[in-house]
Amino acid sequence: MNPIKDFLDAERKRVFAPGPFFTERVLARLAQQRAQESGIWEVIPLSTRPVLALVLVLIFCFVMFQVIIPQVPQRGMIEAYLDSDQNPAESFLYNEGEVPSGQEFLDQLIAQEDQ
Amino acid sequence: MEFDRELIVRAQRGDRSAHETIVNQFAPMVFRLISRFFRTREDVEDLAQDVFLKLFARIDQIRPQDNFPGWLAKVTVNTCYDELRKTRRRKTAMETYGPEIAGEKSVPPPEPDTFGRARLALQRLDPKLRIPLVLKEVDEMSVEEIARTMGLTQTNVKVRLFRARKKLATILGESERNTK
Repeated sequence: MNPIKDFLDAERKRVFAPGPFFTERVLARLAQQRAQESGIWEVIPLSTRPVLALVLVLIFCFVMFQVIIPQVPQRGMIEAYLDSDQNPAESFLYNEGEVPSGQEFLDQLIAQEDQ
Repeated sequence: MEFDRELIVRAQRGDRSAHETIVNQFAPMVFRLISRFFRTREDVEDLAQDVFLKLFARIDQIRPQDNFPGWLAKVTVNTCYDELRKTRRRKTAMETYGPEIAGEKSVPPPEPDTFGRARLALQRLDPKLRIPLVLKEVDEMSVEEIARTMGLTQTNVKVRLFRARKKLATILGESERNTK
C-alpha cells in the first residue's frame, strides 16, 4: 500500500461543489462593483480627462507657434512695402529681390545699427 | 466542455442572463480547481467569487473564438497562486514577528498520520512547485495542459515537476525520520 498514492486518491475525491446561492452572490458582488465604479469620484477623473487633453494640446500649439513662427519687424507688411526707406531686413522679407551674399547682408545690417 | 460562444458576446454587452449562465456552467470547474489548493468551503467559495469577478472585469479581452474554458482555468490557477503566496507570506511573518504562545515549545505537536504528513509536506512546498505538482498528480493534467494553464513552457513545467517531487521526497524523508 503506497500512502502517497492513497493520499492523492483521497485528494482527488475531495471536491467542493458550488452552493445553491453561489451565482446570486457573484451577480450581487458584480452589481455592487459596477455601482462603485460609477460613483462620483470615478466619474470626475473620467470626465475631466478630455478637457485636460484639450488644454495640453492648446498649450503645446501655443509654444510651437512661439518657437517656429519668426518675429516680423515692428512695422506691418504694407507700411514697409510702401515706405521708401526700407531697411535691408525688411527688403529681404517683403521684396522679391536677389538674396544678398552673407557678408554683404551682414555689412548692411551692421551699417544700419551704427546709424 | 460544450460551450456556446454567443454567451461571451452577450456577456461583453453586459447581458445579466449571460453572466448567470457562465457562472452556472463553469462554477463546478472553478470549484474543483480551487479545492485542490484550499481546504475549507469558505476559502474555496471566496476565491471562486474572486475568479468570476476578475473574469467579468476582463471579459472584453476575450474573443469568442478563444479557448474560454482554458482561459478561465488560467485565471483560476493564477488567483490560487496569488492567494497561496499571500498566505505563505502571512505565515512566515507570523512565525517571525507574531506573539509567542506561552509553553508552546514544551508541548509536542500531535503526531500526524500518513495523510497528514503528506498534506503538510505538500503545504510546505513553494506555490510555484506545488501548483504544477497538484495539477499533474491530483488533477491528472498533461504537461502541455499545465503549461497552457500556468502560462509556462513545457520544459519549465517539467523542471518544476522534477524539483517539486525531489523536494517533497526530502520533506517526507525528514518527517519520517523525526517520527521514528
